[in-house]
Amino acid sequence: MPDCTTVDHIDKKDIKFLDIRHLNGPNIWTYYPVLEALVDIGELEDFPSNTIPGFYQRLSSSLPSLIEHRCSYEERGGFLRRVEEGTWPCHILEHVTLELQNLAGMRGGFGRARETSVRGVYKVIVSAWHAEITRSALFAARELVLAAMRGHQPYDVEGTLERLRGMVDSLWLGPSTACIVDAAATRNIPAIRLLARGNLVQLGHGTRSRHIWTAETDRTPAIAESISRDKDLTKSLLRSCGVPVPEGRIVTSSEDAWEAAEDIGLPVVIKPCDGNHGRGVFIELTRREEVESAYHAALKEGSGVLVERYIPGTEHRLLIVGGQLVAANRGDSVSVTGDGTSTIAELIKQQINSDPRRGMTEDFPLNMIRLDKAARMEIAHQGFSGDSVPPAGLEVLIQRNGNHAFDVTDEVHPSIAAAASLAARIVGLDIAGIDLVTADISRPLSEQGGAIVEVNAGPSLLMHIKPAVGTPRPVGKAIVDHLFPDGDDGRIPIVGISGSYGKTTVAHLVARLLTLSGKYTGLACSDGLYLDSRQIDKGDCATWDAANRILINRSVEAAVFENGSDAILGEGLVYDCCQVGIITNVEPIRHYGRYDIATPEQVYTILRTQIDVVTPTAAAVDDVIDMVLPTGAAVLNARVAMLVEMSKLCNGEVIYFSLDPEQPAVTAHRAQEAQGKRAVIVRNGEIMLATGADEVPLIKLADVPLTDGGRAIAQVENVLAAVAAAWALGIAPDLIRSGIATTELSQEKCSSPRIEPETQGNYS
Amino acid sequence: MNVSRIRALRGPNLWSQRTAIEAVVSCNSAECSLDKIPGFMARLNERLPGTALPQPVERHEAMAMAHVLEFVALNLQTRAGCPVSFSHTVSTAETGTYRVIVEYSEEAVGRLAFELAQTLYLAAIDDTPFDLVAALQRLRELDEDVRLGPSTGAIVHAAVARGIPYRRLTEGSMVQFGWGSQQRRIQASETDRTSAVAESIAQDKELTKMLLHAAGIPVPAGRPAASAADAWTAACEIGGPVVVKPQDGNQGKGVAVNLASREQVEAAYAVAAEISDEVLVERYISGHDYRMLVIGNKLVAAARREPPQVLGDGVHSVRQLVDQVNRDPRRGKDHVTALTRIDFDEIALAHLATQNLTAESIPAKGVRVILRNNANLSTGGTATDVTDEVHTELVARVVAAAQMIGLDICGVDVICDNVRNPLEQQNGGIVEVNAAPGLRMHLQPSSGKGRAVGEAVIANMFTADDDGRIPVVAVTGTNGKTTTVRLIANILSCQNLRVGMTNTDGVYVAGQRIDTGDCSGPKSAKNVLLHPDVDAAVFETARGGMLREGLGFDRCQVAVVTNIGMGDHLGLAHVHTAEDLALVKRVVVQNVTPDTGVAVLNAADPLVANMANGCPGSVTFFAHNRHHPVIIKHRAQGKRVIYLDGDSIVAAEAGLEHRISLSGIPITQNGSIGFQIENAMAAIGAGWALALDWAVIRAGLASFVSDVQTAPGRFNLFSHRGATLIADYGHNADAIRALVCAIDNMPANRRSVVISGAGDRRDEDIRQQTEILGDAFDEVVLYQDKCQRGRADGEVLGLLRQGLENAKRTREVKEIRGEFVAIDAAFASLKAGELCLILVDQVEAALRHISRRVVAG
Repeated sequence: MPDCTTVDHIDKKDIKFLDIRHLNGPNIWTYYPVLEALVDIGELEDFPSNTIPGFYQRLSSSLPSLIEHRCSYEERGGFLRRVEEGTWPCHILEHVTLELQNLAGMRGGFGRARETSVRGVYKVIVSAWHAEITRSALFAARELVLAAMRGHQPYDVEGTLERLRGMVDSLWLGPSTACIVDAAATRNIPAIRLLARGNLVQLGHGTRSRHIWTAETDRTPAIAESISRDKDLTKSLLRSCGVPVPEGRIVTSSEDAWEAAEDIGLPVVIKPCDGNHGRGVFIELTRREEVESAYHAALKEGSGVLVERYIPGTEHRLLIVGGQLVAANRGDSVSVTGDGTSTIAELIKQQINSDPRRGMTEDFPLNMIRLDKAARMEIAHQGFSGDSVPPAGLEVLIQRNGNHAFDVTDEVHPSIAAAASLAARIVGLDIAGIDLVTADISRPLSEQGGAIVEVNAGPSLLMHIKPAVGTPRPVGKAIVDHLFPDGDDGRIPIVGISGSYGKTTVAHLVARLLTLSGKYTGLACSDGLYLDSRQIDKGDCATWDAANRILINRSVEAAVFENGSDAILGEGLVYDCCQVGIITNVEPIRHYGRYDIATPEQVYTILRTQIDVVTPTAAAVDDVIDMVLPTGAAVLNARVAMLVEMSKLCNGEVIYFSLDPEQPAVTAHRAQEAQGKRAVIVRNGEIMLATGADEVPLIKLADVPLTDGGRAIAQVENVLAAVAAAWALGIAPDLIRSGIATTELSQEKCSSPRIEPETQGNYS
Repeated sequence: MNVSRIRALRGPNLWSQRTAIEAVVSCNSAECSLDKIPGFMARLNERLPGTALPQPVERHEAMAMAHVLEFVALNLQTRAGCPVSFSHTVSTAETGTYRVIVEYSEEAVGRLAFELAQTLYLAAIDDTPFDLVAALQRLRELDEDVRLGPSTGAIVHAAVARGIPYRRLTEGSMVQFGWGSQQRRIQASETDRTSAVAESIAQDKELTKMLLHAAGIPVPAGRPAASAADAWTAACEIGGPVVVKPQDGNQGKGVAVNLASREQVEAAYAVAAEISDEVLVERYISGHDYRMLVIGNKLVAAARREPPQVLGDGVHSVRQLVDQVNRDPRRGKDHVTALTRIDFDEIALAHLATQNLTAESIPAKGVRVILRNNANLSTGGTATDVTDEVHTELVARVVAAAQMIGLDICGVDVICDNVRNPLEQQNGGIVEVNAAPGLRMHLQPSSGKGRAVGEAVIANMFTADDDGRIPVVAVTGTNGKTTTVRLIANILSCQNLRVGMTNTDGVYVAGQRIDTGDCSGPKSAKNVLLHPDVDAAVFETARGGMLREGLGFDRCQVAVVTNIGMGDHLGLAHVHTAEDLALVKRVVVQNVTPDTGVAVLNAADPLVANMANGCPGSVTFFAHNRHHPVIIKHRAQGKRVIYLDGDSIVAAEAGLEHRISLSGIPITQNGSIGFQIENAMAAIGAGWALALDWAVIRAGLASFVSDVQTAPGRFNLFSHRGATLIADYGHNADAIRALVCAIDNMPANRRSVVISGAGDRRDEDIRQQTEILGDAFDEVVLYQDKCQRGRADGEVLGLLRQGLENAKRTREVKEIRGEFVAIDAAFASLKAGELCLILVDQVEAALRHISRRVVAG
């Protein structure tokens, strides 16, 4: 045993990353994207955590929140107890990475650490919604673990988290977009990020997909945006349609400003035409001197000066989605009531800041109110200073608006909701943030003289997701429901094909049948990328990137993907679930020697990935709010015992195909349940569609050129697999028949080996 | 010279359907016969040479200043290139006062032309110089400034040709097509279906390339470069010549192509980095530069674009050659003309330098000198139409590119050797997808055929049978307009349409009042047509607006004229007689949709019946009397008539008859109120014209109640302590006669009436009201309201009293100041079994007051 009490020795030990892979989709570990790191801990293999003095203390004080990790003992503190009792660096690395991601604001908690066939070399697998962020967290975790082992200096956890949070801010989805994407997930709608940084997201696949970019959709017209940016045009359109807006006009001189003020009616607001952030805005002016001096001040802030009617009340933000009011927030307007003895400063302390919801840090929903410049101006306008003692009963306004902190969705008067919806419609926005000033949102505007002051495109959703006070509103869901009405999940039929051989042929056949059925079909397989039979790329396209190209293509109505074991092991699947998962056959030896694969059990683990994602996936069953019906099917070769075993994993239907009509697995399958289950078999040289006891002839093998009159046995299996998939997809038998009768694949596409005797093994 | 009241007639008007400036011009006696001023005509001709001024002999009257202004204002606009041709001068009742009407295509240009015409006239009088060239220059520049640009203009023209109405929403290029819920919008070549997200995607060239690549569309490979050195690294990765360009540039700014050396790449990086934070390095695809216009899922036009260039002649310098090219009248400064002048700027000079040339070099004859590398029209490039040559596979890629980005209209930039072959065969590629593409190069290419791109845009927005219109009914007349408007609106709402309605009480959309006050003018009508929730519109169309501004719409499906009678408000705004008034109100009839539109006219009113002559559509006549000659004749011709037969209203056409019982029309009080029967007939005519189901028309009539809420001031009946109270807004002889007629059918042991007179009527019109009332009422309460409209205190009361001098029935006359006090007085003396008619003036306030008193009991 090496001497582990000498710090020097530990200093020389290292954790090395031999390889890091991003599996950007369902993989052999989980449904979700992960980083899979091959980690060499070298001699540390001999130093479990309990043997390094002070390690436990240093680790748990660096990252106290590790206490929440329940690993090993299925209870709070479980993981730390393992550390105390002794565990290996890779296990610790996994947990520290996840915790760092967590603290930096990334979701996801899947982690594994597994030994490989080489001593001291492990695979560490951690959830990775964004490869770069997780990679940084992994590297940081290594530093942190090593620092905790060596104990020279405490690791700068705060600095690291700040850096990771910065990455999350710049690389990951913003909160508004994330809330839409999360809502889509709960409806089983897939999401694809189209920009490495930025909030452009595709929801759904192919032709059924929609785009969002923050709170804009692909149906948000550019013209509507232009209108909303032009405040004057917006106001005039709204006014034409009878929506209350503050009347006003552009003025050219201080005299003109006063004239306008008198025309409009006092009090008025004076502001620069194109100013922002309230600079140069003067509110509630009643006297000529005020108006004229405000004119001069506003002139300095913008290119022109606007005089508008003053609308008394508080600013509100109403979110309209697809014509419906989805959420409403009220600004934090603050006033105090005089008691005749206290100064305004004291009243603020007594009446406002005593509110337990107010505080100095982010943890408090509301800010402390201070007599800052804006507040001093506000009270000066009312003739007071901070030291003034307002008479008893007099209300003094301290802060006019402030953050839109209070959710008031349930209070909005229907006529106000209707006016806001109309305003959005007039401007032409499907999603709009309406700024409205009124005293009481629960009463009609006509009773109190409120008005809509602005219509915003691409409104922030944050204030509705996390109102400082009140109920968070499901705005993401509202947007998703608007984009995908009537339970539409935005999915196109996807067929995934795995197995040891014949995949490419089956893929071509299925794609051809889909094309014949009238669907614009994308096919990514090992001999290229095809769009409706047109080859658009040559070479191996049974890859994540190629398949992703199909899914983001907005013309594609159906997709067929070949997934070799290398793609599953090295990249993960591109789709989270599929309509049909096919496994052509299994010959474990063909998969050995790559990715450390050496046993039939491992081959089983690879191939099951394809069956795990047949709709509905276990993930969908867990995450999706509405019930997901089993609409998908696994198409499995009944000849292969491993596949018969695997059929249990499928949440959808199983359709067997078999050369031997009396194959026991098929017979048993067909006998199951009252209505009988489906299989595609060959009987007397004819392909039969079997449902329970029924058998309907499809076509004679002699009429299928691909099978060389039934002599090319491997090709017959491929045809059966394709027929089963087409049948599962609801393609009419007539169409299937004519499709396979007229298909002649070129030689290189259909090279398949002789069929081997049945593969044995126990994979349960 | 006195020119007053210059106004713009922005819609169909008394004079024509065209937009025009109208001014009142008063001439003194000398100005009335200019041909008598020695030398004036010659001086005028000098200042406006080359134009034959109309000779006085042709005009059958003296040449007045008004005629000169008319002629010059039109002529100046024509010379400046405006498509105008209509002008007119009419004399008025006042000697020497004329109304001058001059068409305009742009209001501001029309106004300026009118101003300049006055200046020119004065110059001709005073024999001072007038700079015609400068004047025309001003007009041309203003016109270029305010008129629609060529892209927007082409789309608008295509819409107009399809009969789709349009309205500019801004001074820029934002235009609304169609009306109400059928409206669509464009801004230049963007439509309201052009997605903001798609535009953002198109702006991001890397993202665009990634998406096009996904769709199997050939694109130039490349990547962003972080520095000049990195740009060179990227160029080396790509291999071969490269393009360096800014990520967010437009119109080719900062783009450098065909760069092969490290120096070139690094220099180009520096230029591009000035324009955008992100600079792209891409494979240089050689070949011609094509712009393909995709609209919907079609390739509509394709043009090969050439960079700005000159052809050497061995004599002139490059600078001189550029000047020559720029003299081409098709080349303008901006986007307003077919081509743009070549910008002979630093970029051009730098590009010359790469060819070892300067501005002063004299290229040999036949040598082509290119002045910059990009072929954008806005920097002086030219375009050749190649639409018919594009290979179908190439078309498919270009259309797929538009769909992949998600743009309904876009310009796809293609580089390849020629468009007759697929891109894949020639190593060509799509380099960019542009939202809001310019259409100039396709409309008027420098060579080749112009393409109907405006039509294609419109065809993509409106199906062939859709003109974006909603049913519009315009109602005019002297009395009954408001009730008829409300009744028609009620019928339309029974068809489940969201009805927009304007009348003298306000603007209503789907039953909600969105504006108050007198809204019977064009502005309110325009507001309704702008409203996104309006499926059908009914407009009360008063003459004031028609005279002031013309109609608020270009045409209507149905025009209803209730009556003219003896007229109302005569003596105002050049309308002196009932005949004058009929001419104004006829405008709505003249502007029903040609062929398919319908005018619903009161056959019993000769002035209204005569309007049939000016109707470009068909006519439906209505009258109580089925034997009225107009009805008989019209019916005999198999045309639509509506009349009374016993206790039913009958709508008849070529042997078909639809009967509606008066008992099913509550406002007629079982047929006892004659004028309401007429209003109902007019409304039936409108519903029929809109081809509504008769069940819908019946339901609309049956569910319409004339109460204070639905028709304030329109024969509102109240019961008070056993007495009957009627409130009405009637305020002219015809209306009062109709009211008396209706009241004659209502039993009452004593009748009183409360009336004031509005001061803006002629004396005889005011007197006439009480003349009629005096024969029908026992007591008359005269009151004077606040608004005397120009009359002296007590003057109107005096006139009303004069009218009562020979009263047959009136025994008692009271005079009271204030409408409410008068109403209170009437209430005070009212007993059970009596009837009181209150002719309200401040409708809403008075009705509120009456309602309060009635409720109080």
